[in-house]
Amino acid sequence: MTNINEEIRKKPWIGWSIFFASMIIVFVLGLFAASIMERRTEALVAYTPAKPIPDFEPRIKVWGENFPREYATYLTTKETNFVTKYNGNDFKDALEEDPLLVVLWAGYLFSQDYNRPRGHLYAIEDIRKTLRTGAPKDSNDGPQPNTCWSCKSPDVVRLMKQMGPLEFYKGKWASKGHEVVNDIGCLDCHDPKTMNLTITRPALVEAFQRQGVDITKATHSEKRSLVCAQCHVEYYFKGEDKYLTFPWDKGISVEDIEKYYDNINFVDWTHALSRAPMLKAQHPEYETWKMGIHSRRGVSCADCHMPYISEGGIKFTDHHITTPLKTINRSCQVCHRESEDELKQNVYTQQDRVMELRMKAEESLAKAHIEAKLAWDKGASEIEMQPVLTLIRHAGWRWDFAVASHGASFHASAEMSRVLGTSIDKSGKARVILARILAKHGMHEEVTMPDLSTKAKAQKFIGLDMNTLKSKKDAFLKEIVPKWDEEAKKREEKY
Amino acid sequence: MENTTVLKRLYSRSLSFIIERPLPVAIISGIMAGLLLIIIHVSNIFSYLSDRPETCMNCHIMGTQYATWMHSAHREVTNCNDCHVPQDNIIKKYMFKAMDGLRHSYVFTLRAEPQAIIIKKQGEQAVSDNCKRCHESLFLSPALKNENLYNVSTSEGRFCWHCHRETPHGLLRSLSSNPYARVPTTDSMIPAWLDDIMKKEQAKILNTKIKQDK
Repeated sequence: MTNINEEIRKKPWIGWSIFFASMIIVFVLGLFAASIMERRTEALVAYTPAKPIPDFEPRIKVWGENFPREYATYLTTKETNFVTKYNGNDFKDALEEDPLLVVLWAGYLFSQDYNRPRGHLYAIEDIRKTLRTGAPKDSNDGPQPNTCWSCKSPDVVRLMKQMGPLEFYKGKWASKGHEVVNDIGCLDCHDPKTMNLTITRPALVEAFQRQGVDITKATHSEKRSLVCAQCHVEYYFKGEDKYLTFPWDKGISVEDIEKYYDNINFVDWTHALSRAPMLKAQHPEYETWKMGIHSRRGVSCADCHMPYISEGGIKFTDHHITTPLKTINRSCQVCHRESEDELKQNVYTQQDRVMELRMKAEESLAKAHIEAKLAWDKGASEIEMQPVLTLIRHAGWRWDFAVASHGASFHASAEMSRVLGTSIDKSGKARVILARILAKHGMHEEVTMPDLSTKAKAQKFIGLDMNTLKSKKDAFLKEIVPKWDEEAKKREEKY
Repeated sequence: MENTTVLKRLYSRSLSFIIERPLPVAIISGIMAGLLLIIIHVSNIFSYLSDRPETCMNCHIMGTQYATWMHSAHREVTNCNDCHVPQDNIIKKYMFKAMDGLRHSYVFTLRAEPQAIIIKKQGEQAVSDNCKRCHESLFLSPALKNENLYNVSTSEGRFCWHCHRETPHGLLRSLSSNPYARVPTTDSMIPAWLDDIMKKEQAKILNTKIKQDK
């Protein structure tokens, strides 16, 4: 073996070529690594807002500067120009439309005021205006806790971060009026750094944790429904702390949730006529969507309610969140081949069927409440009434569950028909028992029903003094609310 | 004969070089191996063995393709590879993937990507075969068979998507047509701050419970 050193000494080019060869290899490898890293940063930068959005920025116009298309379409949730057969995006008094609701919710604030749902950008205006939040005179007054703000604003995200949920829910609704002023917006569903879909409300995470479901592994498609499920669900305020809680521990079917509430003896309110311990369903959109065919086929909320739109050669997600009946072409016809008219008729046919059962359920339930009142008046005993009240509680819950989510008659048409069927069954059974109780107490004729043809008549029947309620509310809107806005403006100037 | 002696000499010389100078050799080859590891790491190289759409998103320029697929009915039954890579045998599949991948990495590294990515000839054949693989019922009835097979495989180089133009990527598919396409992220959608306050809250609740029990 010849020594390479001697060799190099003899022929220096060997040494040089070893040097240059390793230099080139290291250089190229380095360049390659640098290039990959550069392009990966580029990927990050491509989705990073040009004008950085501060953490926990609640104002949509600040976000909008970066995302003009999304922002512009989101602003259109303020529109009130579209009416479908049963709903739409304009203002409508639901109690006027269906005065039986007043009787069904007698003794509960819903009997005073209940309107058709409007766009996300009405969240703050509508919660301030509704009679259900009362007319607080100061920050410790009023019927509702702070939990009511939970779903109304991106300011909630800011406050949750600041004080944690327990502290946030504490206290009366009026005590955070000056803090929660921006309508539902970007921060509620998006991460300000990456724009990724994100959860900002602890209640949803907690509900899944208790069920043992790990949503940290949610797929992209599931995320597009889970952000909505932060708010569009059935919920209740737990215990003294009024801790926002989803009753999903036993499952999400109407029976599962009923069992959950029965087990903890939860009562939303005692009915003013029948004295039944009632449950109020909120808006179980996520649950009822889960029960339908679209969910089973993997179609997420955003697929229909926020379809893709193209504008000037650019495709983006339409942030005009509204009924897909407004966007049949972009929402339905992406998968379905039928004409717009036929698809719309399909929806209406399903809704008509559920609506027919809904009216029957309401009629039967209203009669049960009124007959129960008469039974109490005639001297029926608690023991006699016990089975009736339980039946009314369950009938009311089931009817409300099917009706409170405005989309349910389409999302899960068959299941809602079943649920309404069980409501009719239960209120019917209650009325059979009531007929016997009434007969026992000397009442043999059919109970005459009051005139419930208008909201005013129904509200008078259950003993509401609407004029006082309204004038108090007007005073609140005139005196308290402007102060809230002023305080908020001062705070936001410092952002 | 000449060649073998040259090679033999070269081999024995480098061997003796390595044996006599272990330190510099170790350092230089260590640097090279380290750089290789960096490349393996930053290029996410093992993800290319999988079928997950996230892999194709390693190159962010595929955002449009991902987003349009994500908004189509095909997302329920296919991933990128189901259509764009031959599925008839595993050797062919990985050969195709390797060839395709090499070309992509070269185009991507040299920044030679076109504004609107248009499918290549081999790609077309693979996609067409895959259309037929799933939609085979379209070719079962004799009447349809004549009609469809004629169109698909024999006639004038036409493919399914020459008529079904929007399936599944839609008509807008240039690099800039989906500026904010949400590419899949595998991160949890529960932000760190929320996780944090929830843990604190649970600890608080536990503490009060323990105090009450005492």
